[in-house]
Amino acid sequence: MMHPPAGGHLAIEGISKRFGAAVVLEALSISVAKGEFVSLLGPSGCGKTTLLRCVAGLLLPDAGTIRVGGAEITRLPAHMRNVGVVFQNYALFPHLTVAANIAFGLRAQGTSKAAAAPRVAEALALVRMSEHANKPVTALSGGQQQRVAVARALVVRPSLLLLDEPFSALDRKLRETMQVELKHLLREVGITAIFVTHDQEEALVVSDRIAVMNAGRIEQLADPATLYQRPATLYALDFVGQSTRLSGRVLGMEDGVVVVQTALGVVRAPGSFAAGSPVVIAARPEAVSLAPADAPGVNRIAARVSEISFLGSRTQLHLALADEGDRGIAELPRLPDGVGPGSSVTLGFAVADTMLYPAA
Amino acid sequence: MSTRRDPLGLLALPGVAFLGLAFLAPLMLLLWSSIRGPDGFTLNGYWRVLGDEYYRGVILASLQLGLITTFGAFVLGYPAAFALARAKGYWQVVLFALIFLPLTVSIIVKSFGWGIILRRDGILNWLMLNLGLIERPVRMIFTEGALYAGMINVFLPFMVLPIYSVVRMMDARLPDAAATLGASPWYSFTRVTLPLSLPGIIAGSSLVFSLAVAAYVTPSLLMGDRYMTMSMVMAKAFLNLRDWQLGAAMAAVMLAVAAFIVVGASLLQRRVGGR
Repeated sequence: MMHPPAGGHLAIEGISKRFGAAVVLEALSISVAKGEFVSLLGPSGCGKTTLLRCVAGLLLPDAGTIRVGGAEITRLPAHMRNVGVVFQNYALFPHLTVAANIAFGLRAQGTSKAAAAPRVAEALALVRMSEHANKPVTALSGGQQQRVAVARALVVRPSLLLLDEPFSALDRKLRETMQVELKHLLREVGITAIFVTHDQEEALVVSDRIAVMNAGRIEQLADPATLYQRPATLYALDFVGQSTRLSGRVLGMEDGVVVVQTALGVVRAPGSFAAGSPVVIAARPEAVSLAPADAPGVNRIAARVSEISFLGSRTQLHLALADEGDRGIAELPRLPDGVGPGSSVTLGFAVADTMLYPAA
Repeated sequence: MSTRRDPLGLLALPGVAFLGLAFLAPLMLLLWSSIRGPDGFTLNGYWRVLGDEYYRGVILASLQLGLITTFGAFVLGYPAAFALARAKGYWQVVLFALIFLPLTVSIIVKSFGWGIILRRDGILNWLMLNLGLIERPVRMIFTEGALYAGMINVFLPFMVLPIYSVVRMMDARLPDAAATLGASPWYSFTRVTLPLSLPGIIAGSSLVFSLAVAAYVTPSLLMGDRYMTMSMVMAKAFLNLRDWQLGAAMAAVMLAVAAFIVVGASLLQRRVGGR
């Protein structure tokens, strides 16, 4: 059967890679549309960097195919792929100036010095580094180095840009600025970009879609809002954002919702499970309110406050729970008087906001 | 006192004092004897060394030996340094041992070893005779090929170590970065890897060259009088001929060659590393 070119600008099908006995990528498939930003999100060792290296041509997969713009590049050497990479810590050429770093790709591909110069100038202007053109890259700050790395990768007009933990070397404040700046810049250029990151906040900020990776597979591929509000698995739930989660056992179905017995009482959630199944119910902190009205359609749990975290614009309540896997987190705009560590509180969250997963 | 002097500089004092006593003073004496004749000051020693075709040949032969040894050590040592820098765990230990354990063996032992391998009834001839590759023993020892092989063997570690220490500090992802920018392996090597390893190449080459130019033991054991080097002429002048003027003048020439290399290399080093 011919593969239809409808697989998206980047189409990865059934990629597997093992190092010795360790399976790093397991028959992984993903398709990315032209101009789309996708994050590969996961902890170290989940295979996200291996996948990036396979796409860049720095690593040969054991099985599967990689296509860009319909053309298969699975076994093409890296220097013939035209896939740009912004490396972690940038991997700038330390013996070259800013301008020479950016010109490197053009010169390597045979562009004459004279023809390269205006394009280098254009790329420098794009990342607002024109005044630093003749500095050695070793004299730049982290944020400036990142801009040079991005300009160096973009100037050769790659069909695809891969970014490996591009913000990990920057301090928190700068990181947040650069995330927005880079997203804006790449959008302007109109390039298709794949971010590799272990930082869920970063993934939420920069991506159109996020692929949550676990042990060489994609657990869930969804837009940030869906991923946050409706994580498909417990793993995705835990990896992205915080949540109240209670383990329990299904008592049965009632009016189309699942009734679950937890250590803190009966909780209802939309879904469908057989009675007796071990499950985990969960709710996001901002869906949880303090002292809710006793109304149908609201789950209520009572517990003692163990800790209070002041986060500035909001305050988090953490509940003291007996079961080790259980967590209780509520996020409030402000803390009511008289609530502190040790207080007994009742928390409520709408049945519609309650998520339900089979216990791991 | 207007400026505070860095007292750390004083730490060099014992070393400098030792070198002054053990090296500089005898050197001055040596230079003095190279310009002292029976009637006072004379440049006769230098005239004998530089004006005589035979001794000019010796100087050229030493330089040629130094160049060939340096080149051979570079060709063999450059890839070895990369292998050493990129090897992991157990392999690195094995490679390290292979390259640096020979340093613990005296040059004399090594040169004799080459003699045993290469001589008429040596291992190599025995092997080739028994394999039927040759019909009668081939003369290998006391040939220039044997000399170069022995010299490269002796001085190889001095090439590998400086290159290794530079390559080890090099970001291994730089060639990856070059490739993703469309650079062929050759372009990436000549524009990234080679320039970045240049400080190591310069250091290793100047080290091997100055050691090889001054070599005495290996050339005398593997070539004998057939291939006179500056050191051998010096030894002969001092020990056999008791001609201090000749020996000292030859020593001064060798010193000039060495100084030229050391100064030249560090200037080159500054230019390469200064960017």
